[in-house]
Amino acid sequence: MKYNYLFLLLFCFSITNAQKKEEIKNLFWNTNDEFGTIVAVPEKYKNESAVIIYKNENYDFHKFGKSVTYTSSVRKRIKLQDQAAVTEFSEFSFKDRFYSNKGFSFKKGTITLGIKIIKPDGKEIEIDVNKESVEEDESKKVAISNLEVGDIIDFYYHSVEPFKSSLEFGFEPVETTLGESYPILDLKITFETENDFFVNFNSYNGAPELKKIETKKSNERKYVLSASDVAKNDFPRWFLPLVELPCYKFQVFFARSGKFEQRADAFLSDKESDIKKTVSKEDILDYYNTKFYPSGNLNDVNDFLKGKSFSSDEEKIKEIYYFTRHQFYTRYIEAYILGETKIMSYPYALYDSYPIFFNSEEQFIRYFMAYLKKNDINYDIIVATGRENGPIKDILIQQNARVLLKINTAEPIYFGIFTPYSLPNQFDTSLENTNAYALKVSKNKKVTDIEEVKLPTSTNDDNVSKVALNVAFDVTLNTLKINKETSLFGNNKSFEQSDKMNFYDYITEDYEKYGTTPLLDLVRNKKMKEKYRKEYDALLQKMKDKQKESLKKAAEREYNVKVDDFSFEIVNTGRYGETEPFQYKENFTIKDDFIKKAGPNFIIEIGKLIDSQVEIEEKEYKRENNIYTSFPRAFNYKIEFSIPEGYSVTGLEKLNKTVENETGSFISKASIIDSKLHLEATKKYSHSYEPVANWQKMIAFLDAAYQLTQEKILLKKN
Amino acid sequence: MWSQKNTEPSPTEIKTAKELREKFDKSDVAILKSTENVSFEIAKDKKNVEVNYAISEVLLNINHRADIQKYEFYDSQSLINTFSLKYKNNKPANIYPKDEFYKSNDLFYNDARVKYFDLDFPIQGYTYLYDLEKKIKDVKYFTSIYFNDEFPVINKEIVITIPKWLNLEIKEFNFDGFEITKTETKNAEAIVYKYTIKNMPPIAREKLAPGPSYIYPHILFVAKSFTFKNEKTTLFNETADLYKWYKSLVNDMKDDPSIFEAKVKELTKEAKTDDEKIKNIYYWVQDNIRYIAFEDGIAGFKPDDSQNVFTKRYGDCKGMANLTKQMLKVAGFDARLCWIGTKHIAYNYSIPSLSVDNHMICVVIKEGKKYFLDGTEKFNSFKEYADRIQGKEVLIEDGDKFIIDKIPTHDAVSNKEIYTVNYKLENETLKGKVNKEFFGESRASFLYTYNSIKNDKKEEALKWYINSGNKNYNVSNIITSDLSNRDKNVKISYDVALDNHVSSFDNEIYIDLDYDKEYNYLDFSERKENIVFGYKSYDDVTITLEIPSGFTIKKLPENINIKTDDYEIALSFEVKNNSISYHKVFNFKNGTINKNDFESAKKNFENIKNLYAEQIVLTK
Repeated sequence: MKYNYLFLLLFCFSITNAQKKEEIKNLFWNTNDEFGTIVAVPEKYKNESAVIIYKNENYDFHKFGKSVTYTSSVRKRIKLQDQAAVTEFSEFSFKDRFYSNKGFSFKKGTITLGIKIIKPDGKEIEIDVNKESVEEDESKKVAISNLEVGDIIDFYYHSVEPFKSSLEFGFEPVETTLGESYPILDLKITFETENDFFVNFNSYNGAPELKKIETKKSNERKYVLSASDVAKNDFPRWFLPLVELPCYKFQVFFARSGKFEQRADAFLSDKESDIKKTVSKEDILDYYNTKFYPSGNLNDVNDFLKGKSFSSDEEKIKEIYYFTRHQFYTRYIEAYILGETKIMSYPYALYDSYPIFFNSEEQFIRYFMAYLKKNDINYDIIVATGRENGPIKDILIQQNARVLLKINTAEPIYFGIFTPYSLPNQFDTSLENTNAYALKVSKNKKVTDIEEVKLPTSTNDDNVSKVALNVAFDVTLNTLKINKETSLFGNNKSFEQSDKMNFYDYITEDYEKYGTTPLLDLVRNKKMKEKYRKEYDALLQKMKDKQKESLKKAAEREYNVKVDDFSFEIVNTGRYGETEPFQYKENFTIKDDFIKKAGPNFIIEIGKLIDSQVEIEEKEYKRENNIYTSFPRAFNYKIEFSIPEGYSVTGLEKLNKTVENETGSFISKASIIDSKLHLEATKKYSHSYEPVANWQKMIAFLDAAYQLTQEKILLKKN
Repeated sequence: MWSQKNTEPSPTEIKTAKELREKFDKSDVAILKSTENVSFEIAKDKKNVEVNYAISEVLLNINHRADIQKYEFYDSQSLINTFSLKYKNNKPANIYPKDEFYKSNDLFYNDARVKYFDLDFPIQGYTYLYDLEKKIKDVKYFTSIYFNDEFPVINKEIVITIPKWLNLEIKEFNFDGFEITKTETKNAEAIVYKYTIKNMPPIAREKLAPGPSYIYPHILFVAKSFTFKNEKTTLFNETADLYKWYKSLVNDMKDDPSIFEAKVKELTKEAKTDDEKIKNIYYWVQDNIRYIAFEDGIAGFKPDDSQNVFTKRYGDCKGMANLTKQMLKVAGFDARLCWIGTKHIAYNYSIPSLSVDNHMICVVIKEGKKYFLDGTEKFNSFKEYADRIQGKEVLIEDGDKFIIDKIPTHDAVSNKEIYTVNYKLENETLKGKVNKEFFGESRASFLYTYNSIKNDKKEEALKWYINSGNKNYNVSNIITSDLSNRDKNVKISYDVALDNHVSSFDNEIYIDLDYDKEYNYLDFSERKENIVFGYKSYDDVTITLEIPSGFTIKKLPENINIKTDDYEIALSFEVKNNSISYHKVFNFKNGTINKNDFESAKKNFENIKNLYAEQIVLTK
């Protein structure tokens, strides 16, 4: 009897399961499906690899009390026009049962995959996904039968994700271009929500608007975005797709009551019935006024300041910055590393008090606000967004906001990044020169006002790489012996520090500066200390070997040749001053490469000794989009080539190049002084942004720099 | 923590570790001692023999610190009963194994799983003890033991106990040059073979390397028969038994050719000759059946029914071979399945073992001649054979019997790549028209790559193929032959303007005529194993340069002429009718460079490199 009951249960389950699957299928493939009969694509797309006849994305948010059901689906009907497209769509993988990672969940979510193939004669073949799929650990995959060039593949992924959330909950924001890698003939995105779900949605750069569709129930809401004939995306060099291409962004927030609405990390609309399209200055003010408060115990800073005097407020604040960088970050790096490598099981226990480790910029900023408040120092909170997200007036998603502190000393100081290498006045380069909101903190208590400001920009005088090479040519060994010293300033510095340094390269200078104790010196047990020491030393040696190998490979990539006898030395970490460089030396040799023979003479590809230069390919010459490079910057190369005894140099003329325009410049000059050939070349990018009209001007100086890398000198036997 | 007491390395262990690291400077860990035990028992059903395979290893960290994975595969035919790690004090290590599907890029799905440990050795000289006990449910799947590992093996013993009731032959491969000794002891119950191996270097992991069965010392097990209660059961006593098993799987198939009869008719109705009919079917399979492999249990050996492959439009090599066979049979041909080991495998069918083959193709026998068809070789022309199967033995089905034959070989010339260009100097740019022609494998690989590129990217890809994106090599007016026809040589012509290969100094012009500098990438400095190219290649390159008026030749590089057993290379300069003709021929006759000749190869390719660096000098 029991058995029968179980059988019945299983039977019922499989029936309801099958019914559900049938219902899901009907959502996409039904008699009203206006795209179900379309098999042709316009003539203009006949040379495309594939054409998306119809793309439909659906987002549905419903709840019952704390229980949320998030249903999302995508359907695509695609004409496959070549073998590459058939290969791309010949395998699918999915997780049919999964636990939600949102809120907390007791029920598994389900993904249903439906696939059918439409043959050129109109015959439809539905794939039995269940029967044809195989299981691998947690996921399933299916190889698509009977798929050929000229077929249409029509498929849907339908996901039902139940979870519970007693607090407010934000769904992952979506920010995407309208187009994808194939052209789309018709696109439809739908949203269905009800009360307690707040939607931020907007379209940009000419993408169609989201439209409201009337529903029968007053608490139910439905919205649709439709587009047709969407071009495929093409991402050129130095490009920001969400700034240039039609795109849309959205985020949905679940908040059951006003309390949760207040707490939500989002710019919510006043009412669920309104889609929030723009976030005003006032919205920002509201949000940060409640969310951003000073916090932290200032004892450590006060102890640090005891007995110290500073020449200015600016100096004092900067010194506090460096101190906190150590006290709340680098001081615990060794503990973190030794824990991760299992050398020690819980190294944090060695500290007197529970370590406070700032792992986000916000933590640091709150802490610093506490200090500023306590000491009556005037400051603003700056809310900005990276330029890849578009202008601040278009900010829609809270996660895209970056917060900085502007301290209103005589010479204002910005704090924006908190890493082992970060400096005062340094913030994410994508924020430079963007408009931002300054939240005015009056009398260090409350934000009272907000105004639009422009963040400072760095220039190509700030962001500089200076590379000096001494090159000696050993004629008998056919080898170039190179001593190279690189000094990096500004953003060029911060881009390289974490690549070329490891924690052990700077940790000692911090311990010495602040009189703090290296981790292992805190271990009292002698035997354990010795054990840890050995294991830590072994780890360091291994890491250093690997670092050397990777630095050597980086040098090889830079010159695109094999290098030998490589050594690397850090001269200055550049971590204690905005104008101080990150400076390092590399010594190595290059055999055979860059040297050509011509009877008794040699041709040296001297231009190749400057670092590799941007190579603008022929297809890139035509360009339709504006240009977004990282930041204004300059590169200065000085090569001192010792002319081997018994040889003289010809061909200096070609090493002299001058291209200068509003977008940048490349200037190189060569001369011979005291049997040494001096070649100095400087490349400058004037701005981080250029309108597309200036592209040919940029190419002019970039090509000049590339051309220098191709220039050679003749070493003539006397 | 208590289990870690006394796990610190001793001074001797540290010393050993240091010495070993000197010797094996690329390895983090050495297998200091390894003991492998192989024993056999009759399966419960008395129909076959099971294998018990046990490994105990002492793993020593020879670098400062090591973080490695220790892993073992198993599948539906095997079980892992013990998979353990201990500290050197013999207490269990606090590390837990993971168990996952083994995912491979080549196979869509397979039943192999992998158990593995992520283990870290905190200091030099640190030791772990590793133990594995594995059961292989059927002796035919236990084919070999390799003596080397990804780590160097310092001392290893392999003890194989062959009971009297089992007739098993051990075949030895690639022992030369290694410290391997063997003893044999007999007792009333069994013969015990003991291999002792010392100082085995780690596997080399080199590109363009031969298959492991050619280079690494290993033993192959051929289980021939066993006797239980006086009843003898034959296993793989001879090739006929291997064939018998393969054939039994084939006989189990339920092919239904009626499903593709109409397709065969459609493909053959316009064909005027038998060759044309065969071609139409063979090319249809190449073009329409995607390679998707399921290696699930017996599916690793048994082809999928032809109608399934036809309907699904995908399959593995066996599925494609069988569909080709069945379609050809419908068309009235004598077509059969062939088992084959590709170039990757060193063995031939004198050994009755599953490790002899790894591939299946089809043969059509017509007027006493055999034509082999490999559906996995996209853009392979009928009667041409891919290098990876050339010269290899095939086991051809022949009812209850079988035929062993060999795939014909082609010489390197059949894979020729011809390149000609006539340059004129315009200022400092070399301008000319290039003609390229591809034969054989060079043609097939070009067509395969070209046809797998998205339609809208093909033009760009072709340009990229020609100039690798090099800004100095400007290409225009590309004209190609029909790039969907696999029977005709591929021809490409285009105009080129080559910049930055000419430098004028004073009254002299220095010219680097060579853009491609073929084989300049070969590096013998650390190479250990033979170099095996994808196929036997033959490059024939002619570059001519019209000497600009008013100039004479001051210096030409010296010609090079090299002939070895493996390759013939000639680079020569000739002056004809006011032109310099630079002719290069690279003929890799065997598609390999043997490691025994590395010394001379090093010198030869050094000379070629020097010639490439040498400039032509013209003077006024």
